[in-house]
Amino acid sequence: MDALANNFQVLFQGLALGSIYALVALGFVLIIRATNVVNFAQGDFAMLGAYMMVAFLINVGLPYWLSFILALVGMGVFGLVFNYGVYYPLRHRGFLPVIISTLGASIFLQNTVLAIFGAQPKRLDNVIAGGVQIGAVFLDSQYLVILAVTMVMVAFQYFFFEHTMLGKKLQATSQDKDMARLLGIPVALMIAITFVYSSALGGLAGVLVGPVLFVSIGMGSIIALKAFAATIIGGFGDVKGAIVGGLFIGVVESFAAFYISVPYKDAYAFLMLFLVLIFRPQGFFGERVSEKA
Amino acid sequence: MRVSFWSALSAGAIASLFAFSAAADSIRIGLVSEITGPNAEAGAYTINGAKLAVEEINKKGGILGKQVELVVEDNQSTNPGTVLAFSKLGGNKDIPAIIGPIRSTQVQAASPTIKKAGVPVMIGGTDPSLTHVDNPWVFRCRPNDTYSSRVIADYGVKNLKLKKWAIVHSTDAFGAGGQKALTDALKNLGIEPVLIQGYTNNSQDFTPVVLAIKKSGADVIGTYITNSQDVGIFAKQLRQLGVSATWIGSPSIVTDTAMKLAGDALHGTYGIADFNPDANPAAKAYAAAYRAKYNLDPDIYSSWAFDAMNVIAQAINSGKSEKSDDIRKAILGLKNWKGVEGDYNFDSNGDGLRGYNIVKNDGGKVKFVEHINFDK
Repeated sequence: MDALANNFQVLFQGLALGSIYALVALGFVLIIRATNVVNFAQGDFAMLGAYMMVAFLINVGLPYWLSFILALVGMGVFGLVFNYGVYYPLRHRGFLPVIISTLGASIFLQNTVLAIFGAQPKRLDNVIAGGVQIGAVFLDSQYLVILAVTMVMVAFQYFFFEHTMLGKKLQATSQDKDMARLLGIPVALMIAITFVYSSALGGLAGVLVGPVLFVSIGMGSIIALKAFAATIIGGFGDVKGAIVGGLFIGVVESFAAFYISVPYKDAYAFLMLFLVLIFRPQGFFGERVSEKA
Repeated sequence: MRVSFWSALSAGAIASLFAFSAAADSIRIGLVSEITGPNAEAGAYTINGAKLAVEEINKKGGILGKQVELVVEDNQSTNPGTVLAFSKLGGNKDIPAIIGPIRSTQVQAASPTIKKAGVPVMIGGTDPSLTHVDNPWVFRCRPNDTYSSRVIADYGVKNLKLKKWAIVHSTDAFGAGGQKALTDALKNLGIEPVLIQGYTNNSQDFTPVVLAIKKSGADVIGTYITNSQDVGIFAKQLRQLGVSATWIGSPSIVTDTAMKLAGDALHGTYGIADFNPDANPAAKAYAAAYRAKYNLDPDIYSSWAFDAMNVIAQAINSGKSEKSDDIRKAILGLKNWKGVEGDYNFDSNGDGLRGYNIVKNDGGKVKFVEHINFDK
């Protein structure tokens, strides 16, 4: 019974943190699909979203729901600024300048937030206080919220991309920009929308995980590293893969930490990454490179 | 137009020359601290402490009649950054002494660079080995972890009468050193810990650690946790999963940050603190001055730097020389020098202090319990 409770507790923590990796990985993937570049500031979107939440909730003193909406809207607007400031001017220069540009943006964001909010981490309270106690297992309410919101986001994402005109236009843009342009789809606008959405998604992850990990300058980098591994494990640029990859890493590292060794916790994600790259280089859901061409 | 530009430039150059010669009349002391990176918060407090000392020294007329100037170098919260900062400051002949970082791992990384520079460096890192690597230039302004662990073990075993120990430690130099010292200290009291559990800094989830403690049935937890944020996450999860064991932690447990983040999850825990505002008269005066200047409560990141700066000033004054060699000799010659962290007597290794305060988190307020001091 005790062992069962422990396993369940470990699984729960793993799924919850995995959901956060998945949300950030999803942001990675959407931008990869739209622009063919990895956005190294994706983790900082989460950090920035969490700080916006802190600003609205604690510094301004707005109610939780309003702060939440404002933080997400704020992140959406930020995504637009990011698109025109970081990506757009370099869009014809190949992928390397854009990657370096996103790296620069990441450093800029971290230090700007440091200058504004100071270095002391901030505390955010759970959306709903407390948690659920089932025998020896404690389900933190925030982890439950994270799991629920992730599921809703995955469903929303599916509906949006498969069943709306805008979603289909976005898909067309990511598949073949020239063809999309010929069909009259405004490609630049579609990419801008992708940045807005990815930024809000990253911000959402940050707002959700803030009460668990506390809000700090470095919070995004740690999440982004795992989310990036999740992106590759799932299949580079695959939406399903990002979600499954994120959950997979969360659960594997949680169990491996419990059963094998805690100090090597961060290594397991990358061990998985190596194994996947050796035995299934295209990732869980990725197409073989030859097929893609 | 062009002429006036050049004349302006040369006028500026001359002005800066004068500024330089004015600066040469001051004593420049280096400070390697964390201005950027994940530990920037602690770094800011360290700079606060050193600056307050400089301000007080200058108000009293400076050292040997010269004003003190603090030269702060960022180490980016990383080991390579620390080495770089020390090469830069150590290579500057105008800087006779440096205040180093509080992180053991950074001191360890920079130790060869410090030795090469041949400049006294005051450190805050508490890993015992840092002063035992045949480096005559490293001086510690905080008690090392042999003492912290002896105080933790002593207080837990003798005062609280607790025998089933779990040790949780970071795997960095500070945590691993502390773990080893605490295990030894317990062994000397006849106790074998029921669990020794490591974790890496910036862990996002302490569930496996907490479950291991639960399984071990420990009634007291001794911790060496490096980052305040990790203290916060661990404390929350520990209490959520229903572990109510007594907790005696290394100094990070009573940092302002940890207590703000963890809230009531840390109530009732014990900590050791080399600095406590109520421990002695010097500490009381310092705390009042710090609060007045920064409107913040002083903590361990700032107090040792305040002492470090004052030890350097005292050594230059008593040796009547600002040469690195003489400063080193004068530091070793200090006897019962009263700082805010306690009475300094530097041994040949460079360790200045041998005692700690036991404090308790009483409903979110840190209360001074007692000062435990060892002669050796």
